[in-house]
Amino acid sequence: MNPHPDLTVGVIHGLGWLYLLLFFLNIGWSVRSFKVDGQFEDILGFKHIPKAFLWAGYSALLLLVALVHFAVQSATSAEDFVLRLPEFIKNPADSVIANPISFFCLSIVIYIAIIVLRKTWVKPTVSWILFNLSVLFISVSMTDYDFRRIVGKPDNVPIVGMLFLVGFTTWLFFVKANENDKRLAEGRPVREKELSDQVLVWPDLVYTEMICMILITALLIVWGVALQAPLEEPASAVKTPNPSKAPWYFLGLQEMLVYFDPWMAGVVLPSVILVGLMAIPYIDFNTKGNGYYTFNERPFAITTFLFGFMPLWTGMIVLGTFIRGPNWNMFGLYEYWDSHKLEVLNNVNLSDYFWLTFLELPLPKPDPETSFVSQASSILLREWTGILVILFYLFAIPPLLAVTIFKKFFVKMGFVRFMVLANLFLFMASLPLKMVLRWVFNLKYIVSIPEWVFNI
Amino acid sequence: MADNKKLTTAEILALARQQDSGGGADSNDDNSGSSATPESSQAPVPAEDNKPAAAPKSTADILAAARAQGDPVQGGGFEKPKPAAAPGSTADIMAAARAQGGGATKPKPAADAPKSTADILADARAGGGSAAKASPAASQPKAKKTAAVAPVGDRPALKDMVAAVKEAQVTGGPAKPKLPVGKPAPVKPKFPSKKEKVGRRGFVVLLAALAVSPFVLAWSSMSAIAAIWSLATARFMMPNMVLELPSRFKVGPPSDFPPGTVSAKFKAARGIWIVNTDEYDGQGVIVALASVCTHLGCTPNWLEGEQKFKCPCHGSGFYITGVNFEGPAPRPLERVGISVADDGMLEVDKSVKFQEELGQWSDSKSYEVA
Repeated sequence: MNPHPDLTVGVIHGLGWLYLLLFFLNIGWSVRSFKVDGQFEDILGFKHIPKAFLWAGYSALLLLVALVHFAVQSATSAEDFVLRLPEFIKNPADSVIANPISFFCLSIVIYIAIIVLRKTWVKPTVSWILFNLSVLFISVSMTDYDFRRIVGKPDNVPIVGMLFLVGFTTWLFFVKANENDKRLAEGRPVREKELSDQVLVWPDLVYTEMICMILITALLIVWGVALQAPLEEPASAVKTPNPSKAPWYFLGLQEMLVYFDPWMAGVVLPSVILVGLMAIPYIDFNTKGNGYYTFNERPFAITTFLFGFMPLWTGMIVLGTFIRGPNWNMFGLYEYWDSHKLEVLNNVNLSDYFWLTFLELPLPKPDPETSFVSQASSILLREWTGILVILFYLFAIPPLLAVTIFKKFFVKMGFVRFMVLANLFLFMASLPLKMVLRWVFNLKYIVSIPEWVFNI
Repeated sequence: MADNKKLTTAEILALARQQDSGGGADSNDDNSGSSATPESSQAPVPAEDNKPAAAPKSTADILAAARAQGDPVQGGGFEKPKPAAAPGSTADIMAAARAQGGGATKPKPAADAPKSTADILADARAGGGSAAKASPAASQPKAKKTAAVAPVGDRPALKDMVAAVKEAQVTGGPAKPKLPVGKPAPVKPKFPSKKEKVGRRGFVVLLAALAVSPFVLAWSSMSAIAAIWSLATARFMMPNMVLELPSRFKVGPPSDFPPGTVSAKFKAARGIWIVNTDEYDGQGVIVALASVCTHLGCTPNWLEGEQKFKCPCHGSGFYITGVNFEGPAPRPLERVGISVADDGMLEVDKSVKFQEELGQWSDSKSYEVA
């Protein structure tokens, strides 16, 4: 018998409960749709069909699916169960997810779609469809053993919840921002001013907070009882778990460590992130959007923040949690975690490219017997291309930005504030740039001086 | 002048009291009653002028006034000046009443006076003390009671006094402090005999021993405890753990490590791989590589199928020679010292390390020719 069956009776019944829950949610949505959405004027000769009938039909289908799941009672019928993810979908999905280039492109596409299609996807019906699709994606994928193993791991369950939370808060922001942008375009006051829904701290706010506190406490208790802490064997200095993962909120940093030297990814970039977040109030000269939601009045601030938050931070957490497997290789969501998966990689420094490939000369090698000055000159000769590139990136690009695309900013902000902004911007951009260089050109380090423990 | 219909409840009460006391007591009270009338009739005057908020005295004031007038009546009709022009607080009134009560009840038993418990007790003590001198038998029960409540330091305790009195009764004389009954002082020094001398010496020794023994006991037990503590401290300095193994150790004859192999035999215990390879510079060598990733210090694994060391933390990869080729590790794995000992065994020396990027792998201590 298969020790790792895709489907068991327990899994099928659990999915039945999930479909049943979705059924009840959609019954509620059908009621709402009946009251709000109106009706089709003419469909195939039938007049005045309420749009809610579509939702009611969908709900009925969900109920049927749930009942089919509950009907499965024996292990053999579980193995022959029809409603499962077919292999011809799994394999292409795996090859897209497990490839860093396509994964990163996918996250960028989602990010751009969130911003460009912001008027569309936050509409109630559209966002409800998206929510249904995400739940259906998870429930259908749960029929795969490997997906269930990685998503159902007690460590990872809250991260799935976090993804829904990120989606909800983003949706909430764009709903409010869209409404205010519409009002501002029509010359009306923003919603927060016109329909001031100010309430008293006591009792309104305190009451709400207390309810939230009780609910969260109850949730934490249920969570603590239901999901056991994943304890592992005792720690040993000579044995590292494979894969060895950071806490989920540091997985973005761990992903950065794949592309940068430890002092860069572990010290410099996190410090820049923190200092940059602290500097936002001083470099943000845009006084609009103070006290109300808006997108059109602060497009640069919001797109920049969302780029750092969604593809870079949340996307890296998803990558580190669900996709990085043994030996820190990337695995598809439906792929078995094979610790012998062979990924052919050969990372090369920029100096290697310049000397070995371009000039076809051996690398200048510092002679350890000679003086420090001759060694240093030999090292600098070896790395001069990379050093030049870095100097150009940090010192030439900000003025170039100032005279081209950020001209308005430079005029408004003044020299110092603009330079701080430009450098923070460049540091943020360095991560995706380095990732793309690694994936496309197998570039390891732009400047590689291991003799001085200095690699960029 | 006074419109009786508009009297407040308090005033009516005050009037009623006045009449009561006037009716129940001597005709002298008519004076005080008539003197109270204008006082109480002042209140309705502003009421007639339709200025209710201005003048009416508070109920408390009226009551106080009534009490002040009523109390002397109840106290036995003493001719006494009123305590104050303005009626004081309830506390004042009470104090005044008590003072009168105290004065009035001098002949009476002290317990009847409306005093606080503390005062009563104090009085009882004082009275009891004085009464005990006069009639000890009568004071006995009272003294017992109060002594049980609170013996006071600066006064002679009642018990003592009672005892003294009892003694005086028994002996018929004045109370005398009891002296310890002892031998009368010897008139003449007696020269002790030899027998007595020994006995006395033994007695002195016994006394000395008795006097010293607590100290001996205390010091010896303390030293014993201190000794145990120092032993425990000494044991604490040598914890129950595996001490660091010597940095030089033998790994076996070179024939144990055939060409092209990686031995992970000593990885778990000593953190090294023994590698026999000729891929680094064409020369077949046996080297000892430290199993510490040069990226962030995780322990890589040797993957036989892929012929590489692979780190599980960030995916750094190293060739069999230890040279890095994939992932973020910036430099090759480090070699540690290796040599052939006198008995032909390979001996690894972990106290020295050799880094390729510093050109140290050319050092003959970093490899052993296979």
